[in-house]
Amino acid sequence: MPMYKVKPVSPADIKIDVPSCMYKSPNVHGHGMNCGEHALQNGEVDPSLKALEERQDEVLRRLYELKATVDGFAKTVTTPDADLDASTPSPGPAESVFKGTADLDSLLGKDLGALRDIVINANPARPPLSLLVLHALLCQRYQVLSSVHVHSSVSAVPPPLLSCLGPRHIDSYARQRFQLGFTLIWKDVSELQMKFSTQSMCPIEGEANVARFLFRLLGAEPQDPAAATQMDCWIDKAVFQLSEGGSKDRAAVLRSLNAALGRSPWLLGQEFSLADIVCACFVLRAGQTTSAPVNVQRWLKSCQNLGHFDCVYPFLQ
Amino acid sequence: MQYRAGEEEQQAQSKKALKKQQKEAEKAAKKAEKQAKLAAEQQEADEDDFAKDRYGICPMVQSQQKLDRALVRVQDLTPEKAEQQIWVRARIHTSRAKGKQCFLVLRHQQFTVQALLAVGDRASKQMVKFAANLTKESIIDVEAVVKKVEQKIESCSQQDVELHVERIFVISQSEARLPLQLEDAVRPEGEGDEEGRATVNQDTRLDNRVIDLRTTTSQAIFRLQSGVCQLFRDTLINKGFVEIQTPKIISAASEGGANVFTVSYFKTSAYLAQSPQLYKQMCICADFDKVFCVGPVFRAEDSNTHRHLTEFVGLDIEMAFNYHYHEVIDSITDTMVQIFKGLRDRFQTEIQMVNKQYPSEPFKFLEPTLRLEYKEAVAMLKAAGVEMGDEEDLSTPNEKLLGRLVKDKYDTDFYVLDKYPLAVRPFYTMPDPNNPKYSNSYDMFMRGEEILSGAQRVHDAQLLTERAMHHGIDLEKIKAYIDSFRYGAPPHAGGGIGLERVTMLYLGLHNVRQTSMFPRDPKRLTP
Repeated sequence: MPMYKVKPVSPADIKIDVPSCMYKSPNVHGHGMNCGEHALQNGEVDPSLKALEERQDEVLRRLYELKATVDGFAKTVTTPDADLDASTPSPGPAESVFKGTADLDSLLGKDLGALRDIVINANPARPPLSLLVLHALLCQRYQVLSSVHVHSSVSAVPPPLLSCLGPRHIDSYARQRFQLGFTLIWKDVSELQMKFSTQSMCPIEGEANVARFLFRLLGAEPQDPAAATQMDCWIDKAVFQLSEGGSKDRAAVLRSLNAALGRSPWLLGQEFSLADIVCACFVLRAGQTTSAPVNVQRWLKSCQNLGHFDCVYPFLQ
Repeated sequence: MQYRAGEEEQQAQSKKALKKQQKEAEKAAKKAEKQAKLAAEQQEADEDDFAKDRYGICPMVQSQQKLDRALVRVQDLTPEKAEQQIWVRARIHTSRAKGKQCFLVLRHQQFTVQALLAVGDRASKQMVKFAANLTKESIIDVEAVVKKVEQKIESCSQQDVELHVERIFVISQSEARLPLQLEDAVRPEGEGDEEGRATVNQDTRLDNRVIDLRTTTSQAIFRLQSGVCQLFRDTLINKGFVEIQTPKIISAASEGGANVFTVSYFKTSAYLAQSPQLYKQMCICADFDKVFCVGPVFRAEDSNTHRHLTEFVGLDIEMAFNYHYHEVIDSITDTMVQIFKGLRDRFQTEIQMVNKQYPSEPFKFLEPTLRLEYKEAVAMLKAAGVEMGDEEDLSTPNEKLLGRLVKDKYDTDFYVLDKYPLAVRPFYTMPDPNNPKYSNSYDMFMRGEEILSGAQRVHDAQLLTERAMHHGIDLEKIKAYIDSFRYGAPPHAGGGIGLERVTMLYLGLHNVRQTSMFPRDPKRLTP
């Protein structure tokens, strides 16, 4: 005879109303499981589950692609003349903006079997930002062997300056495989200097002049003399007024930039050119871009969207 | 008549005699005067030499006694010691007497200071005279008071002070006639020609090396050379290298039979090592991975040039690498750059001192080191108008021209030339895998002159045998060398530099004998 009797707390036969929006899964603990189903425990997937997963992956992938396309279109709309391949999901460097061709042999002299090495001596206190942008553009067009050295006249250089040309090329031990060499030497020089063929060329001085030389290698110089003159004019404005001028000069340049950019997406009209590269770099270096006029800010954002200016941002305070 | 003639004769004679007597009398008078004067002076000297015990020649130091006296070094004589009375031991660089004063310049190694001895209550006339008569280069002990000077003494290294001498003693006297004058030895060549003053030519210097080494320039050069050796060791030890010592008496010529010294070895003969090459490689095969050695190298080359010695100090490196011999080049160039940086940062005083006599451009380099390929060098030379074949070795003038072209373009005095043609390299050089005409070998240049020749070595016994046969080398003589690669040898590469040549080129000097303490060349065996 039981000692205590406990009244049942809940009746044994409560009818539970199962909500219809949930799905039924087979009772794992129930009887009726045969050995065949135990095999599933070893990591094999039930074919129907597999199909479900695949459908889910497919849907997600299409979702990502759609998102990327929308992103790309957004950029295209805000950035004129951007040749973005809208289906690439990752925002890597844009494809070459410049479609012209340049004959390296006629510009740099006949290839005598040696690497055609462009040597640039720059002061680490004033990194030449426009040349870094041009270097990135050159790397897209040609096989460029880039190297950075520190001259003995400088005792130490901050690490970002040592890696400003990107990671060392895997094949850098075989100099002959490259069409062009780009050697940047951090040196105690008063004026930036470029040397190429010391026997037949005198050195080129000044960041703007070296930029003009490198731009020529891309074969994208404006053919129209008026446009070419305008480009030179903008570059000179950047060098003499933005960089070397006082605050009044700077303000004047920003105003004229604003005016020009109100009329067209880029400084020379519809085409992105060296004027945009040099002016943007000098404006960025001068700082205070948040207080710049509206068109200038929009233009700077467009430059950034092109992807070529990524190498420059680590050097802006 | 006879009497008159006689009288005349007598008169003449007596006139002569008179004259003679007069003369003798004058002489005697003069002598007496002199003696009187001497006597007077002696008296004076004995009377007035109150400073007799404050100067003199010390008896030879045979460690008779332990004096508790601190000697201050000339380089420590600065305005902080003003008014202190101190003892200094130095050499007499110059001495100049002017009436009652004597100016001495005292020198110790590179440092000079002016000392003044004036007749007064501390010094007597005799003392000043004694000081003025001391021979140059004598070593003296001086007790003096350090005095600040208002006007800088430009001609001395210690420009802000001078010594007022109280006591002066000679420790070691120098002979009066010096084979060469130190001031002449330090004079720059151009100045000598201009002002008609003497400079000392190299042979005289080398014959009297002990005195020549005392000059400030020599002191600076060899201190810098010591720095090179030390930086070499320190940098490599920090990179995990092991220092080894290799034998210099060997049984077979390592580089080639021609330029080797023979020594008699009991009943047979042996050779003096031309390089530690074989033994470095054996150490790599013995799993030491990274080794270096500092030791003499003997080359019996009958070359009388500005950069060849028959015996010099070789600094050699050998290193096993993982996949590409550029790992070794990077290691060697980094070591060289660390040496250059160390010299630039810590030895500026010495560099300036050498430049005073031998002006030159400061040494420039790039970090990481510039590496050009042989084909590029040939193209650069051809562009400059030189005619040469693609596989030809670089002649010395071409090397110099190439150095200037590289300096023009890259502004560096130090660079590496990689991938030399196989035909011009020794038999143990590994051929280039992609182009059989070239090899995995490299040379390094300072100021346009070669300082290092290196390569990836052939570490396979069979290939080594083939290459040796191709070069017509007697396999019997190098049997032991080839055997060392038969039991598993890692891929390795290396190179060696000459200490004297590197010092010479770093300082921009023109003759390697200036940087070798006791140089050996085909014409010189002593000192």
